Amino acid sequence: MDDNNKPGPLRSRPTMRELVYFCVISLVLLVSLAIAPAKNYFSEWRHYQKSYLAIAGQRQSGTLVRSFQGGLHQTWIAKLGVVDRCESCHVNLSGALVGASEQPFRKHPPMPHKLDEFGCVICHRGQGPATSVKEAHYTTEAWEQPLLPARFLESGCGQCHLGPLQGAPRLNEGRSLLSSMGCVHCHTVAQPDGNVLKPDDNPPPLTHIAEKTSREWIYAWIKNPQLYAGSATMPNFQLNDQDAADISAFLIAQSSASPASGTETKTVATAAPSANASIEAATLYGASFCSSCHAIQNEAGNLVGGNLGPELTRVGSKVNPDWLRRWLDNPSSYHPGTRMPHYRMDQKQVALLSGFLLAKKDNDYLANVHLAPASADSIARGKKLVAETGCAACHQINGVNPPQNFAPDLTLVGSRALAQVVFAPGMKHNLPDYIAAKIHDPRSFGPGLKMPKFALGDSQVDELTTALLAQTDRAAGFPKELIISGGRTTNYHPGGKAGRLMEDLRCLSCHAINGNGGDMAPDLTWEGSAVQHTWLEDFLKNPNTLRPALIRRMPKFNLTPDEIKTVTDYITSAYQSPALDLQPLDPHVLNADAAGRGKQLFYSKYGCQSCHIADYKNDKGYVGPALTSVGNRLTPEWTYNWLKEPNAFRPATLMPNFSLKDDEARDLTAFLMTLKAKQGGGK
Amino acid sequence: MATIKTEFEKLRSTDVWRTIFRSGSGSSNLHRSQAVQQNIFLHLFSVKIRSRALEFSATWYLGALTLSTFFVLIATGILLMFYYHPSVPQAYADMKDLQFVVASGVFLRNLHRWSAHAMVFLVFAHMFKVFYRGAYRPPRQFNWVIGVFLLLLTLLLSYTGYLLPWDQLSFWAVTVGSNIAKAVPLMGKQIRFLMLGGNEVNANALLRFYVLHCVILPLTAILLVGVHFWRIRKDGGLHVPEKKTP
Amino acid sequence: MTEDPKMQETKIQAEVQSDVRKNPRRIAFILRRASPHVKTQDDARVMTYPTALSRFVIALEVAFLLLVWISLLVNAPLEGIADPMHTPNPAKAPWYFLGLQELLHYFPPVVAGVLVPGLVVGALIVIPYFNINIEGESLWAKDRKRRLMIISAVLVLFCLFLLAYDVIVALVPTLLIGVLMLWSARFSSESPRLVQRWLFSKPLSFWIMSWFLIELTVLTVVGTFFRGPGWGWILPWQS
Repeated sequence: MDDNNKPGPLRSRPTMRELVYFCVISLVLLVSLAIAPAKNYFSEWRHYQKSYLAIAGQRQSGTLVRSFQGGLHQTWIAKLGVVDRCESCHVNLSGALVGASEQPFRKHPPMPHKLDEFGCVICHRGQGPATSVKEAHYTTEAWEQPLLPARFLESGCGQCHLGPLQGAPRLNEGRSLLSSMGCVHCHTVAQPDGNVLKPDDNPPPLTHIAEKTSREWIYAWIKNPQLYAGSATMPNFQLNDQDAADISAFLIAQSSASPASGTETKTVATAAPSANASIEAATLYGASFCSSCHAIQNEAGNLVGGNLGPELTRVGSKVNPDWLRRWLDNPSSYHPGTRMPHYRMDQKQVALLSGFLLAKKDNDYLANVHLAPASADSIARGKKLVAETGCAACHQINGVNPPQNFAPDLTLVGSRALAQVVFAPGMKHNLPDYIAAKIHDPRSFGPGLKMPKFALGDSQVDELTTALLAQTDRAAGFPKELIISGGRTTNYHPGGKAGRLMEDLRCLSCHAINGNGGDMAPDLTWEGSAVQHTWLEDFLKNPNTLRPALIRRMPKFNLTPDEIKTVTDYITSAYQSPALDLQPLDPHVLNADAAGRGKQLFYSKYGCQSCHIADYKNDKGYVGPALTSVGNRLTPEWTYNWLKEPNAFRPATLMPNFSLKDDEARDLTAFLMTLKAKQGGGK
Repeated sequence: MATIKTEFEKLRSTDVWRTIFRSGSGSSNLHRSQAVQQNIFLHLFSVKIRSRALEFSATWYLGALTLSTFFVLIATGILLMFYYHPSVPQAYADMKDLQFVVASGVFLRNLHRWSAHAMVFLVFAHMFKVFYRGAYRPPRQFNWVIGVFLLLLTLLLSYTGYLLPWDQLSFWAVTVGSNIAKAVPLMGKQIRFLMLGGNEVNANALLRFYVLHCVILPLTAILLVGVHFWRIRKDGGLHVPEKKTP
Repeated sequence: MTEDPKMQETKIQAEVQSDVRKNPRRIAFILRRASPHVKTQDDARVMTYPTALSRFVIALEVAFLLLVWISLLVNAPLEGIADPMHTPNPAKAPWYFLGLQELLHYFPPVVAGVLVPGLVVGALIVIPYFNINIEGESLWAKDRKRRLMIISAVLVLFCLFLLAYDVIVALVPTLLIGVLMLWSARFSSESPRLVQRWLFSKPLSFWIMSWFLIELTVLTVVGTFFRGPGWGWILPWQS
């Protein structure tokens, strides 16, 4: 610069300024480079491990301090894709340091699984590999699934346990709600084993609706089903007056004549309804055990009865009397898929019962409904609305096909990417809250959404959310051997003449056979092996409850002796268990000696009387069925095998497996077979 | 101070030192020149340089800054390779390990990422500066062309590296980019297939991008950077515009 | 070392003689009224070591230092694991391709994805091989009227083309540069203001390159910060 063109030597040493710049910047650079390792050293997990050691030191737990291994702790399970480093901070999950109640040192409650077999995040969610509080627990850019709030925790179980699971009541209830509220009519929910949840709400067909009820009732009902019956399953579509009027017009217009409409119903009961008759009718209602399925609101406003069928509190305001009589006479001629049994009532009973039901009336209910006569326009518009609203997803309607893929598939909803979720304004951006809000009030997400509002309590919303959160893609990728399928519902139906009879009686509405049917009454899959022919015949003639704690029992269906024989023959021959071991029981073994030993075992060694009653005078067991006449009821082979391994025959039974020795089981069987009623059947 | 100096001089006169630095001790311009000429790293420089070319306004040091980001990228890139498997889904798990387990892993990845962005930006800036300075004029035409290719190489390096974390951001960025290749007339699909090793961005594409990013493209870039520097010297040093005659 | 070629032609004659013993070596005759002064650019020089090298090293360190601090303060983005089933909205390319992606929004892929980048690279490569670029003569130095007409026509056509495709984003910088360019035609090398003289002196390549620079910047900034779901407009502070 200064040595312009001079022949002399150019400056050859760095100037002081260059040196100073160089030194200062190099120094700053070195210091800056040291910051990253320092940050690393003061990381959160190191901090927590130090404070754990400090607490342990204060408590004089010298052994704990000495045995503690510092550093990152991780659970790595390759087959599940689990890398969990939670234990780097949560160092006291085992509770070795007693009384540390502050997180992250709190002791974990008893775990149903081993930590090194499943890790943490499979149940709890959150980001397992993370080693900072924020990343591990909350939603971040790189991780969407935050730690699950405790009230949804059972969804973790539901990833592998696809059926009902003891200890997970919310999950179980949520799953049954998915079926019983009819969610799965519109939404597909498939489980990792391929099982697709099926609806269990049995919505009535609307193809002959005009015979059953009036347009006014339909109008009032679809506007707000819960106004008619608080327990109604049908959701509220929040229809405006015009839409409801049009839809009701269309539904009446599309209605065709049912096969039953031809049957003449004799108006026998017109003969003066006396006070006597009303008592008789109420008795018939009780004796037919209508309340096992139907509920009626009593004066205190409480619902009394089951929820398998519709609530009957205001049924008189709803149904056409002729239709009701035809229905009571034979329900399936109006609704072939109904769960209501064919009671085989005589004309008098039908008249009594219909009179009783028609009196269940709320005169105010339809007082304010005045509809203009249906025009062709209105009907056409109603049809369009029915198709748009998706009524046909649940109900059979003439001229409207059930919509396909009407609602989003919920198979993997429990791990849906947040980017695919449209949140309502002001909502917390996480999946559990989204699902819960969507179930609680679907229309709050904006106008034009189709999902209706279901009448669900807060706890039911949480239960449904729990069940849906179990539908994760993680579970879909689990090794097959981890998946524990639930009892798969099958399409089993009994065949032949007896089968037709059993269909007519709707046995499967309450009993399950071969994986199909209800759970109100005992499973009959192996009933043929279990019970004796004569007992079954007697029972069908005059059903009685076996369990002392139960008031409900099987209704009496007025069967003819022929019908009883057909059904009994069929059950005792068809429902035989192949697992029954017939070998060790020849009649000689079941002698009085054995019975004596069996009595000893019954009362002393195994204390069976705490759940069962063998003798009404002394025993107070109300959990299991009474055994006073079990010698008439059960077969010896069944009794023997049942005693040895009860859950081999009925997995859900409460009866414990006592691991009886062969001779003990034999002796107990001998004893039980001596318990016979004085004169066949009865108490 | 003086003793350190004499000790240093002693060290410089030892045989071992002389085998390494052949120019020997001495503070004449000859020695200075030799120090540059006989050093493989420095010999790309001329011994003397115009002082006007060193002024900040002449180049804004954009070339030098680009080079320094490139150095940082090579250094951090090599370190990152120790922790990285180009396979699905391990690649993403490796990102998590870098973040949560590897000592200063986040810092390492940040440094690589931001340096890459900085390099792309600086390369563009360098190009525009050279243009407005008129430094592409003869005899530097060819070095400009090399520069354009280095710009493309930088973009490719950055783009191939973008896929490697295998997260949503990278996956879809590369998907968007590779869909553009499909638009090439006649052989768009084939080009995309060649690029991705398949018809969609998958494990093959990851491996392909990895090899390109870590081997082929950096080697090419180093080669071209060498030529670029060598040409600077051969084309008469850094460009200095004519002084206006007073 | 540049020499005025004209001067060489007219005032200096070179002669080369092979026989050294006969004639002393002569390189040039200086003719009458010519000055022996040769214009060279003999700038001040410094030794590479230490002056230049120390500066390079300091530049290198400063860059490294800045990068270290950026890396300490800002974490590199990392999202969820790649999932071909879930397309984020919008799916964005790396920022340096967002200009192209913005163009893809308007033009068919062949144009925006192949033609435009191909033309840009081609144009960049050939810049130093055109005399017009090397001479760097002012755009308005010659033929002002004809050039004004041609350039105005090209500008109007191009703007109409952009309007037809509704590319407002690219239209604004084009108009800006176009107006400046036409405005500069009003000036001359004797204009009173420095800016006016400066604008007047610029060659065509300057205008094109500046247009490219502004387009690149605007498109990239728009693509990076102002595009949201469905490639619709969004403000950067909206999530």
